[in-house]
Amino acid sequence: MSTDIATNTTNTTNTRVASSRSAAGEYLTFILGDESYGIEILKVQEIRGYDAVTQIANTPDFIKGVVNLRGKIVPIVDLRIKFHLGKVEYDEFTVVIILNLGGRVVGIVVDGVSDVMALKEEQIRDVPSLVTSIDTKYIVGLATVEEQMLILVDIEQLMNSQEMALVDAVAVH
Amino acid sequence: MTIDMSQFYEVFFDEAEELLAEAERLLLGIDMENPDAEDLNAIFRAAHSIKGGAATFGFMDMTEITHVLENLLDKIRKNEMKLTSEHVDAFLAAKDVLKMELDGHRLATAVDQEQVADVKMMLKSLSEAGGVAIAPVPTVSEPAPVPVVEPMPEKQPEPKAAEQETVPEVPSDGLNRFSIVLPEITEKDMSNLQSELGLLGDVAVSKQENGRFVFKLVTDSSQDDIVSICSFIVDPDDLVITLAKAASETNSEPAVPKAESGSNADSKVKIHEEVGYGLFEDEGKEKEEEGYGFFAPFQPHPDAVASTLIGDDTVATEANSGKVEVAAEVKVETVAAASADPVEKKNLGRRESDKAPANAETSSIRVGVEKVDQLINLVGELVITQAMIEQRISNLDPVHHELLINSVGQLTRNTRDLQESVMSIRMMPMDFVFSRFPRMVRDLAAKLGKKVEFVTVGAATELDKGLIERIVDPLTHLVRNSVDHGIETPDKRKAAGKSETGVLTLSATHKGGSIVIEVTDDGAGLNRDKLLAKAKANGLTVSENMTDSEVFSLIFAPGFSTAEVVTDVSGRGVGMDVVKRNIAAMNGVVEIRSALGYGTTISISLPLTLAILDGMSVSLGNSLYVVPLNLIVETLQPRAEDIKTVTGEGRMVHVRGEYLPIIALHSIFNQRTDIIEPTEGVLVLLEADGKKSALFVDRLVGQQQVVIKSLETNFKKVPGVSGATIMGDGSVALILDVPALIQMGQTPNNYLTGAIPFSNHNQFIQNQAMPKELS
Repeated sequence: MSTDIATNTTNTTNTRVASSRSAAGEYLTFILGDESYGIEILKVQEIRGYDAVTQIANTPDFIKGVVNLRGKIVPIVDLRIKFHLGKVEYDEFTVVIILNLGGRVVGIVVDGVSDVMALKEEQIRDVPSLVTSIDTKYIVGLATVEEQMLILVDIEQLMNSQEMALVDAVAVH
Repeated sequence: MTIDMSQFYEVFFDEAEELLAEAERLLLGIDMENPDAEDLNAIFRAAHSIKGGAATFGFMDMTEITHVLENLLDKIRKNEMKLTSEHVDAFLAAKDVLKMELDGHRLATAVDQEQVADVKMMLKSLSEAGGVAIAPVPTVSEPAPVPVVEPMPEKQPEPKAAEQETVPEVPSDGLNRFSIVLPEITEKDMSNLQSELGLLGDVAVSKQENGRFVFKLVTDSSQDDIVSICSFIVDPDDLVITLAKAASETNSEPAVPKAESGSNADSKVKIHEEVGYGLFEDEGKEKEEEGYGFFAPFQPHPDAVASTLIGDDTVATEANSGKVEVAAEVKVETVAAASADPVEKKNLGRRESDKAPANAETSSIRVGVEKVDQLINLVGELVITQAMIEQRISNLDPVHHELLINSVGQLTRNTRDLQESVMSIRMMPMDFVFSRFPRMVRDLAAKLGKKVEFVTVGAATELDKGLIERIVDPLTHLVRNSVDHGIETPDKRKAAGKSETGVLTLSATHKGGSIVIEVTDDGAGLNRDKLLAKAKANGLTVSENMTDSEVFSLIFAPGFSTAEVVTDVSGRGVGMDVVKRNIAAMNGVVEIRSALGYGTTISISLPLTLAILDGMSVSLGNSLYVVPLNLIVETLQPRAEDIKTVTGEGRMVHVRGEYLPIIALHSIFNQRTDIIEPTEGVLVLLEADGKKSALFVDRLVGQQQVVIKSLETNFKKVPGVSGATIMGDGSVALILDVPALIQMGQTPNNYLTGAIPFSNHNQFIQNQAMPKELS
């Protein structure tokens, strides 16, 4: 699967839709199931373990609830549930990445955090049109690092999107 | 270099607003017969400060008004004019105009130029009328020729001897007479100076025995001009300038800021407004500190008279001696008046705050509210962290960890103190609200032809700033209502055997964790029958059996007014429902007590701060929710026979003759719980928006104060939840939004039948029910 995408990516480089901004920069990489994802390091506030959350009624299952982060009430989203990846378990190794998205603080549950890497523009490939559970418009690009594909996500847009049901615009029933 | 003044605008606006409010407060408290000199001075100072600030920032319209205002005030505080109610009215009008202009500059609101002009005219005419008609105090029958150039003999036996001598004539043309005592200078310098000063006005020179020269100068210039001219030739420090007579234009004299701020303290030129018995520096200083106020001439330093015995005599002394006599007489009068004063004040019982805060000038700094809020948040976090440490430590062996446990105990105390003091930053005395009512009541009473005495109690009671701002409107409405509907006209009161003057009391007290604000009038009281009739006419469901408090609560129904005549003050029936809504939005409760013929009390009970809520925590499954305590009527565990259904679905509980819908929290929140029968759990009877419902939860956990945190900061609004809070163990609990829950309970899936209040027993059963079972 991942090789397919890689091939596709190389094929489509010439027709790449010019991304409005440079995707180069430092990325925090994390693992969901078998896939590696990268998010802009500047959006990351901290990484912590998974605490007991307070469930919130009538929200999608991937919104685990809210936690107390030093006095702030912060919602926690489990990306594993959202993207149907990995085993959904909560133990002492479960990692929560706390993101600060323009003042809004949100936590995401992932399988594990691996690295921080600097990516250059030329390492980043465009995303082909695919049908995935994550809208490709939230994927900035794909990078190959040590034979592994890294999916670079625009986490801010993703988290503010309606499908994450984290913002008010969505009516949740 | 240019300085961007606009950055200071806000400071000026804030200050001017405070000064205006202060001036208004003083004006309203002033006793027409015996105005307190200190108050007059304070009003004058306020006007002057605004003038200064306005001029600095180029708000000339405000400068103009304050200038005229100052003129008039100055005359009054110097006793040249008697204070009348017209003056007070004019001052109040001027205050309004100034506020309007201030808002005009600040918020770009419209300024009624006509009104401005009217007020200006009014002040001017008052000022002029008084200036001519009322003789200034220090007049003596025989005015002496203008410039007296006559050195006094060195030994002047008694000041009285000079009584007939001279008292300066009062120049009616706005000129000032200065006497300037120069240090020893040469003849040549002296003549230079004389010609220089000659440019300012008429100057006469005399020589004292000790070789010093004394100028007598009649000019329309200010002291500063003289000082600046003299400083070319002599050291200004050695100058003694005495203002022999302040004529009508003295308001602009620079002595004012000097006395006020003391910023010019470095300049040793002593300027004495009144005739100078203060030729000596020490005295001068003292006078300056005392303020140049109204009383200054009447409280001469004991040495002042004696000063004539000391060799350094001047012409001014001679002028003075006559004056001292006059002054002494006036002093006696004032003392007599002053002694009568306190008694009268007590009788008047106007405002308790009259005396207390008048000179309590506390130093303060302006800090943005966000900064304070941030501080409060941080301390809140600290408290939670501290609680967590405490909890963890409780598992440790006290023998091995004694020191650690002691230190944590210390930390606990310090944290609590810190939290308390930080919370107190946001607290403001109720006086901020109360102070705006005397004026309103006064104006309203005058408009309606009623006599109202306004009393405030507990103005020092503190309340959160956010609440202070939000309580103003509802309170204004209640006070208006009391004056308009509550207190009767003097005739009616007389007929009812009451005193003609109605009493309106505004009080604030702390009761437990809340503040109780009451508006009480001794007026007609609420007429139960009339209310019922009106309610029936309005189509409200009422019955004769309703309790008084239920009947009185009818006035909070939208569109309800018992006023026979709609006035521009009130009576349209909008308002009371808004009052109730506003107060409910602050987690407050309104209650009415009234006795027909004796008056009405409307009592508002508010939490001390918006950030803290008195809550009852309840459990549902494995989560915890907080219900605002003020919305809980009672809690109970129903018996099976009290649970009723309609068409086998909608469940109700039969409580004291009422059928209340049961809202099952677990079904609204789709949450798993083992307790699905109301008889196994607890019903919390809630009342919001006039509707009662029974919320079905698993258990009551306990009552506690919680700090309200917004969910929306990082998340979004959740239906049925108004916020969140952090419990002692660091976990998050959601605060239930009771009105929304009741609403949600009435949507088909969850449940409902309309509650029919069949009977009318105590709807206001106090929160008597305590948890029968604590988990």
